[in-house]
Amino acid sequence: MSQPAMSRRGFLTAAAGTAGAVAAAPLLAACGTGAAVQTGSTSANTLAKILPTYVPLNIAGIKPDYPSVDGTEPGYLSYPTKLVRTVTGTPGSGGSYTGISPYWGSIPRTSGNTYYDAVNSALGATMQWQPTNGDTISTTLPTLFAGNQLPDWIDVPTFAMPPGFGQATQERLADLTPYLAGDKIKEYPNLAAIFPAGWQQGVWNGKIVGIPTVVSGFSTAVYLYYRADILDKLGLGTPSVKNISDLFDLGKEINDPKAGRWAFDDIWPFLTYPYGFEASWSLNDKGDLITQWETEGIIEAMNWERKIFQAGMVSPDGVAGDTSTAKQRFWSGQNVIYADGSGSWSGGDVISGTAADKSYVRMAFDFFAADGGTPRIPLSPPTEYLSYLNRDLKPAQIKEILRIANFLAAPFGSYEFTLINYGAANVDYTMTKDGPVPTATGNKDVAAAALLLLASPNNPISSPGYPSVTTLSARYQQRNVKYSYKPLFYATNVTVPNDLVTTAANAPFSNPTNNIMFEVVRGRSTISDYQSTLNEWLRGGGNKLKAFYETIRAKQGTA
Amino acid sequence: MTEAAVTRRRHRAWIRLRRDRSLLIMTIPAGVLLLVFGYTPMLGLIMAFQNYSIYNGILHSPWAGLSNFQQLFTDPGFWQAFGNTLELFSIQLVLTFPIPIALAILLDSVLSRRVRSIVQSVVTLPHFFSMVMVVTIFNEVLGGSGLLDTALRAHGVANPPQIMTNPGLFKFLVSGQLIWKESGWSMIVYLAALAAISPTLYEASAVDGANWWGRMRHITLPGLRPIMVLLLILNIGYALTFGFEQMLIQLSAVGPGAAQVLSTFSYENGIVQGNYSYGAAAGLFLGVTSVILLLGANKFAHALGQDGLYRK
Repeated sequence: MSQPAMSRRGFLTAAAGTAGAVAAAPLLAACGTGAAVQTGSTSANTLAKILPTYVPLNIAGIKPDYPSVDGTEPGYLSYPTKLVRTVTGTPGSGGSYTGISPYWGSIPRTSGNTYYDAVNSALGATMQWQPTNGDTISTTLPTLFAGNQLPDWIDVPTFAMPPGFGQATQERLADLTPYLAGDKIKEYPNLAAIFPAGWQQGVWNGKIVGIPTVVSGFSTAVYLYYRADILDKLGLGTPSVKNISDLFDLGKEINDPKAGRWAFDDIWPFLTYPYGFEASWSLNDKGDLITQWETEGIIEAMNWERKIFQAGMVSPDGVAGDTSTAKQRFWSGQNVIYADGSGSWSGGDVISGTAADKSYVRMAFDFFAADGGTPRIPLSPPTEYLSYLNRDLKPAQIKEILRIANFLAAPFGSYEFTLINYGAANVDYTMTKDGPVPTATGNKDVAAAALLLLASPNNPISSPGYPSVTTLSARYQQRNVKYSYKPLFYATNVTVPNDLVTTAANAPFSNPTNNIMFEVVRGRSTISDYQSTLNEWLRGGGNKLKAFYETIRAKQGTA
Repeated sequence: MTEAAVTRRRHRAWIRLRRDRSLLIMTIPAGVLLLVFGYTPMLGLIMAFQNYSIYNGILHSPWAGLSNFQQLFTDPGFWQAFGNTLELFSIQLVLTFPIPIALAILLDSVLSRRVRSIVQSVVTLPHFFSMVMVVTIFNEVLGGSGLLDTALRAHGVANPPQIMTNPGLFKFLVSGQLIWKESGWSMIVYLAALAAISPTLYEASAVDGANWWGRMRHITLPGLRPIMVLLLILNIGYALTFGFEQMLIQLSAVGPGAAQVLSTFSYENGIVQGNYSYGAAAGLFLGVTSVILLLGANKFAHALGQDGLYRK
């Protein structure tokens, strides 16, 4: 199953109001509890005590063709046609709840929706599913928190967390520790099968608050994809890229602007790997904690990418920073090499790609180090999507929602999984030998991605009808996983003190399309501009932030 | 002032209120709208003097005094946005202001009603396009993979101009987009003003031997002057809030050095980065400066003997 089509780098074209809108944020936010906000993280001891027990599921009849190796996502070439139930009875007890989660694509109708009706009747509860535009979720969430209008259940993606989210976990969101800590999670077997690292990401200041969704044990920000068919046509065969200059040379052979073909899109999100600055925090030679912005790799990466920009090897829309049509540029062959999430390898991608170009084949370069040495892949947090419950819910209600979550988290190929992903049999989908195929109603009504972002099993790789895509993706993970490692503060949540909240947002480096690296590679700023921005950030709070993280590192004993 | 005079004045005010009561009642809905959506949200500007947190709300967020403003005035990004705003606005004003006037005069001189209405429809239409669409259309024609550059590349030009991503040309690009989008719409007001000029004036001057230029200088332009001054002043009031959407869409294409203006600065810091107090401080500065500019321009107009926003 592919990850929801999201992009944390997606450019927000949504134009909200300006000064007026800033000022118009709700006046009457609810009062805090009055208690001081607890800062810091969770100690290893506490974590060991509360972390839910991991109980992998073993469902008869569902065996992955590519089993998980060291955390890789299991790959399934075919879809089971005999569906096994993993939940007995109806999980709900007639409750009525609202659930908000981000959604990319047109929002399905609410009333008369065959999918919602089928899911709700199986749940035995009235869930009001509210998929919300994913492109603007980062501006929607703060208003929900500020106006104290949180639904019962909400997905807060890590890339859209309102600043100072640690305070929200202590004041607005329900503490799930009493229901899920240790062996208690066994009451919800499908939730217990979620990787512990995912659950660790739901822990804030010694309490389980978040429910991890679409968890992966091999999560990277992006892969570097290429159009295998175009390389074939150019007589370049299967490229062997072992270091960064191999990539540059390959680019030179591909690039032909006259024919409307450029070697690269803006591949900055991938360069973080070969140049070794993907991890937010690392230790320098002296053993001091440094941010990714202070590494030497980031400077080298800027210099290298600037070279491909200057050489005219980046497509004009890539130069313009238009990330919203990056996939289209790849499908049409305008860009031959580009960076995108692991979920881009999917059946849907084959349909879109072959519609633009009949011979379309997507492949990805294995990870490599810039100097040709051993590649190193610091793992990204296991998920970008966690869901949370409202603090105002009563214990019985929390238990009911957790039972619903357990239903949503049913494993690949089960009856529940099929219902959540494809809707009602013979209404929203018809079962074929390749697996479920959506009907016209299903295409219109099913909002699986929205429900899966409230609760879901560990991410499987499956593209019913497109086994070759599954094979490519699963084998890729198995080849590359040996280079992965868990970086400092992996899957760890830190509540920073209020005076550091703004600094921790890393404004000069984090704005997706308007940050200092973006300017440097385009030649509009220089490396020394970068240095002075960095120094200013360090002076303006960055150094204090580093000192704060140093204390957490000392407490956690991670080094 | 004697007591009698005061009473008389009050009396007169009461009579005027009674006389205009139906007009005044008609303004109530607009007044309420302004109050609810214009003035009430302004109370939120308090957060410019706080370290506002969405979890604590305005009532419980700690006060920060003027520290947000101190930070603002020492922030190079802010001054860059301020400079860009003034530069982009002035260039845009100089380039775009005369065009609807010229267009109106030109169209007014066309006798065929049919031609007039066709031309008017064609030039007015772009006003109804959103900025996103305007920029997209420009990109399709002038962008790096647009018509112009593709054609040039096909004809052997290795490095076509890439107008959409050239920071140096951006100020002219912005003006070009505005001219294309808004000239036709702005023209309508001038056409109305032209229609209000009595034809007898033209006939009399023709009899007196005035040529085309003479009639333009002594009748047409003076007839348009009040509306020109009014629109100019209103324009200046918008100077600092200029081009939010237009800039936001094109910000990544040319970079903040060319396209960051005060309104996008406020948006980026406030809404995108979640630093609401800082964004509000920038917004408040922008609002206050705009009011000063507006009043200043109005005063200037009065000094020149024009009506300005209202008759003195």
